[in-house]
Amino acid sequence: MNPFEALGIEARYDLDLKEVEKRHRELSVALHPDKFAAVGPSARREAIERAARVNEAWRIVKDPVRRAEALFELAGIKVGETNEPKTDQAFLMDMMEMREALAEARDEKNLGKIRALADDAENREKAVKEAISLAVARAPSAQIDKHLLVSALPKLGELRFYRRMLEDVSAIEETLSEQAVAEGRAS
Amino acid sequence: MAYSEKVIDHAENPRNVGTLDKSDPNVGTGLVGAPACGDVMRLQIKVSDGGVIEDAKFKTFGCGSAIASSSLATEWLKGKTLEEAEKIKNVDIVNELNLPPVKIHCSVLAQDAIKSAIDDFRAKQAARRSEKPEAQTK
Repeated sequence: MNPFEALGIEARYDLDLKEVEKRHRELSVALHPDKFAAVGPSARREAIERAARVNEAWRIVKDPVRRAEALFELAGIKVGETNEPKTDQAFLMDMMEMREALAEARDEKNLGKIRALADDAENREKAVKEAISLAVARAPSAQIDKHLLVSALPKLGELRFYRRMLEDVSAIEETLSEQAVAEGRAS
Repeated sequence: MAYSEKVIDHAENPRNVGTLDKSDPNVGTGLVGAPACGDVMRLQIKVSDGGVIEDAKFKTFGCGSAIASSSLATEWLKGKTLEEAEKIKNVDIVNELNLPPVKIHCSVLAQDAIKSAIDDFRAKQAARRSEKPEAQTK
């Protein structure tokens, strides 16, 4: 499925997600089963299937990793476990260092340090997203630069590492703030 | 995701979590990552002069299966020679932990980590030998 086509939007990375969300909502309303009450069962089924496709397309497009994957795939570059290159050692060393610092900050319940590490990861993630955006900008047009795309493939892996770390940050921040609330109540 | 009991045991009580001194010439470090999911794994071995792995440590940031795979790997590595350690295959880990197909890549990562740690150790030893040519001629 081409999720961009399903939503009737341009296939690019740096989308205005608020606009896409609006578009998704409009399509969902237009495809609502109530609107198809009077038509025959086959037209109704088709509307339901289209609505499901539109929902799935929105789930893909709003996710920074899945959106990037979709754009690489549209350009004819396979993604996933067996298709992507091994991650660079220098990157892994940095990542390990950041993860260890985060684990330490979590154990110390040092919210300031956690936030600083998250800000750093977010900035790095932003740079990675910009690189991906640039590489897939012309995909899937006829003039795509395959070499540029393939060389940008490691960025997709890096994006997943940052996502993973930032998901952990959210979970840690949530746990610590719950603990703080519980302690506040107890005292 | 339904984890097997062994995965849960290793994930909740991981064995041999920690760090060995990277600069120690007897320590080999393997650092690997899974770009498809964002897991990072570091596995280290300390090899005796007789070529036996006397200690192994790991640190993994990832899912329960990745933690369990590396934890199990360190348990298996201790007491093995490098040649024996090289024979540990990801399917052995899959079978021991009953990993489901979607988690097989975690065992592949652990096997990769073992291999990189051994490679790193051997590269260090080779570099030391070439630094001290007089030691070779004796």
